[in-house]
Amino acid sequence: MSILIRRSNLMVPVTSAGFVAGAWRHGADAITLDLEDGVVPALKAETRELVKDAITVAGKGAADVFVRVNKEFLVADVEASVRPGLAGIMLPRVESPEDVIEAAEVLSSAERTRGIEPGTLSLILLLESANAVFRVREIIAASERVSQVGLDESDLSASLGISPLSDYDPFVYARGRMAIEATAAGVQPIGVAHPLGTLPRLLSGDDMLNAATDSKNLGFKGIICPHPSWVSPVNTAFTPTEPQVDFYNQVRDVFAQAIAAGTAAVPFAGRMIDVPVDEWAKVVIATSTACSLRDAEKQAALKSASA
Amino acid sequence: MADHVAVHRSGLTMPVVTPRFIDNAWRRGCDFVNMDLEDSVPQHMKGYARTLIKDAIANVTKGGAEAFTRINHDLVLADLEGIIWPGLAKVNYPKAEYAEEIELLDSIISRLERERGIRPGAVEIGANIETSVGVANAYDIAAASPRVREFGGAGGYDMSRDLGVEMFVGFDQFVYGKGEVELAARALGLEPHTAPFTANTTGSVGDPDRAFLEAEAARKCGFRVGGGLHPNVVEPQTRGFTPTQEEVDEAHQVLDEYRKLEVSGETWSETDGKIVDRYEAARARKLLDWSELCSARDQEKAEAVARVEAAGA
Repeated sequence: MSILIRRSNLMVPVTSAGFVAGAWRHGADAITLDLEDGVVPALKAETRELVKDAITVAGKGAADVFVRVNKEFLVADVEASVRPGLAGIMLPRVESPEDVIEAAEVLSSAERTRGIEPGTLSLILLLESANAVFRVREIIAASERVSQVGLDESDLSASLGISPLSDYDPFVYARGRMAIEATAAGVQPIGVAHPLGTLPRLLSGDDMLNAATDSKNLGFKGIICPHPSWVSPVNTAFTPTEPQVDFYNQVRDVFAQAIAAGTAAVPFAGRMIDVPVDEWAKVVIATSTACSLRDAEKQAALKSASA
Repeated sequence: MADHVAVHRSGLTMPVVTPRFIDNAWRRGCDFVNMDLEDSVPQHMKGYARTLIKDAIANVTKGGAEAFTRINHDLVLADLEGIIWPGLAKVNYPKAEYAEEIELLDSIISRLERERGIRPGAVEIGANIETSVGVANAYDIAAASPRVREFGGAGGYDMSRDLGVEMFVGFDQFVYGKGEVELAARALGLEPHTAPFTANTTGSVGDPDRAFLEAEAARKCGFRVGGGLHPNVVEPQTRGFTPTQEEVDEAHQVLDEYRKLEVSGETWSETDGKIVDRYEAARARKLLDWSELCSARDQEKAEAVARVEAAGA
């Protein structure tokens, strides 16, 4: 099975030259160059001019490079962004399947003019309203290009009139609905556990790792990182740990022995091992392998770019 | 809601290919026995396993339990041909994802009921939700056949694999899916089969104390259906899903008080800080109805066990 490993996605405003120049060093699986909320309206046009070079720089560490476009400047932003080295675009404020179809068509035409293989550019969708959360199924299904979908919890709060508090999670339902519908459609849900979605901040050491691990256990496959310090704990949290891989390798052995002995249910380590546990073990082991390959790829790129 | 309310507080799922489990099942005191053809039976034994069900039905129901069988998602026709015999109360269908699957099951079961002299509609279908596609289509699945009378799932290992989450974490990673299946069940007047979150970080399946707390919490949240994998959890589940004597007494008091209100024409009263009104009276009636059903079920099982023991003596 082929598993998309896009655990951390570092968000970088294209206008911050220093930030752009250093982004590739942080080990992120993806880097998203922001033309939207991180850029004031007056600077949008000249910022677009910066995208071409920024894509090249951001890709030096083998990250998938995305550009977050402005919904209202979709065509101009896409035209400025589509060139070799771009993995796709992040589409904010998606409200309907038509929004997705429009973006997919703009990408198709840009692929044609730039000589990029048709269908290779991917979409990350951001849902930011009650309407979008409610229509998530048709939105996700609107294009084969959709690889990931997330909530923009800050904008969703504004849309719902919520002033978020760290003690009360307003998005249990929205997050759960997105995780289920995306998984059902074969698209990766991305997002972060409360309160970091509405109140992003820097957490120290284990706290960030724990928050990222909770995010994984909500069904998410990755986190959009507003700050480089999130990247490493996020990569760690979404990578199976060595004890987990050892445990599930044992599970596979014990289960194989049980099958040979004529049963598919066997107690092990206080648990009952049967088919679904063995199937989960396969997923953990395959994910671990895929993460190792991705990490090796990034390591090699980092090394050659630093040399 | 169907006239007949099933009492399925406790049950054991067991591989039908393990004779010592099947032979002892009737002694366990469960409300149902779920004979497994699916996850606990090795692939190469699937054909053999389904031939065992016909005789096993009589065996596992000796103590008054109902006999269920969990079939394989991908072997529907062969499994149903092998298992639909008089005495089988329910077919559990794992990883239900589309209404069409349930419609197909229904039509095959209807034919087999006709061919084998079973009362039409007797065999229930348990459409188990274990994937995100299943959650997404929950309402349509639950509505697909009148044979679906209990409906739930949205947790467990299959669900965890589908979502890519670990099973035993300190929070409810399945809260949305469980909410969706409960809503679908309630909206259709079916018995929801799910449970509130109670932390289990060890993954133990045989802890009686945990089983009791979980069953009691589930009952307090309006659920009545249990089931497990280990004989140790049968009695605590049965107990946890059954109203206590104290609750029964209290319900009688509420109804006594409410009758007085009906005479006086008032809508509510307060005794010792507790409100009695139409809502509380309805709740008390519901608890007493359930309590009676539980008692009747316990009596039925006790009589069945006594018959077996008398015959064996």
